[in-house]
Amino acid sequence: MKPMKWICLTTVVFLMMVNLASSAEETPKDSDRYAEEDEYAQSVIISDPIEPWNRAMYQFNDKLYFWVLKPIALGYSFVVPEPGRVAVHNIYDNIKAPIRIVNNFLQFKIKPSGIELGRFLINSTMGVVGIWDPAQDCFDMKPYPEDLGQTFGHYGLGQGFYIVWPFLGPSSVRDTVGYGGDLFLTPTTYLQPAYVPYAVESYRTVNEASLHIGDYEALQKAALDPYIALRDAYAQNRNKAVNE
Amino acid sequence: MLKRFYMAFFIILTIVPPVLSAQSPMETAKVHVDKILEVLRDQTLTGESGKQTKIEKISEIAEEVFDFTELSQRSLGQAWSQFTPEQQAEFVSLYKKLLKNTYADRIVSYNNEKIDFGKEVPLSDTTTEIQTTIGTNTGNVPINYRMINNNGQWRVYDVVIEGVSLINNYRTQFRGILANNTPEGLIEILRKKVQ
Repeated sequence: MKPMKWICLTTVVFLMMVNLASSAEETPKDSDRYAEEDEYAQSVIISDPIEPWNRAMYQFNDKLYFWVLKPIALGYSFVVPEPGRVAVHNIYDNIKAPIRIVNNFLQFKIKPSGIELGRFLINSTMGVVGIWDPAQDCFDMKPYPEDLGQTFGHYGLGQGFYIVWPFLGPSSVRDTVGYGGDLFLTPTTYLQPAYVPYAVESYRTVNEASLHIGDYEALQKAALDPYIALRDAYAQNRNKAVNE
Repeated sequence: MLKRFYMAFFIILTIVPPVLSAQSPMETAKVHVDKILEVLRDQTLTGESGKQTKIEKISEIAEEVFDFTELSQRSLGQAWSQFTPEQQAEFVSLYKKLLKNTYADRIVSYNNEKIDFGKEVPLSDTTTEIQTTIGTNTGNVPINYRMINNNGQWRVYDVVIEGVSLINNYRTQFRGILANNTPEGLIEILRKKVQ
């Protein structure tokens, strides 16, 4: 993958899709106005022009979770006790520090950016490659999670529309581009040979799933339309992340 | 002796009622969260029957602190007025059951998480938000309780977890269903869901 070519290509696709999105946003505007009359409504609405594709991918991910991911995660958690899995989670979180440092900086959140840098230095050393979090426990340095999608949002860019990716799950036009950009700031992306980053990401997914068994099941049990429930939760959660 | 009796009577009359009625939203939230934690940490309730007892006790506490009518009304938004009073009553009871089935069941699996009470942020003259943080082993989860003043009593009408409002999440779903169904149709779907 030649980085320059990739960047040019994504920029073009991104601009096209944002254009598409702004025209696609006309339709939900009507229901928006309807919502504004509603004294109770303050919903965050995300447009969904490719709903048939998204619902198909949602089904795919659903099956992937129940047939593949969950059984593997359950077996894995049988072998590795919880503290070990939490340690793996923490190590990954620490590796992704460049994303937070750079994106805080891009939003001119200079102090949070410095704190994230400090957290990375302290936790990588004292915290033994990030297994523990002495930065928070000893120095009261709280994390400031920011990613490129949030940076775009910070500068006023809307979500575009909702996209469900196979394997990766819920996203939007904006956050997909953000995810792609953040990959450049993820150290594991540069591991060789080429399949290693995928293996790392797959392992991370299994580890995360093992720590959240039951969450998706609860969402399904509580929802009347799990697809809509997840889409809305995604939109609300990202909206909050941007406004923080 | 009599004088002392009158004194005591006077004190009871003037001091006790305000103490009983004027519980701040923060106090109300804290008291009920503590009650729930007490149930969750009850060592005598073990196994499947213990779990059921816990769910029952938590439901009772939820009944006290939640305003399910307000919660239902806000979840339906404008559509609430299209429901007849009987339909509204049935909707409230089914919705309550759905939330109880799913969340009480989920809550009993938590026991050693740490809860921190943060700020109180007023939302309007009659509503306020109590901000809390739950410390889990993979990080902090912000959970905010939105409360409304009902004749001096503060009741929860929305729970916002990681920025996701419960009533907004359901409103999006209800709106989708009501676009193709009558209020009766929605109630039927709820009936099947909680049966």
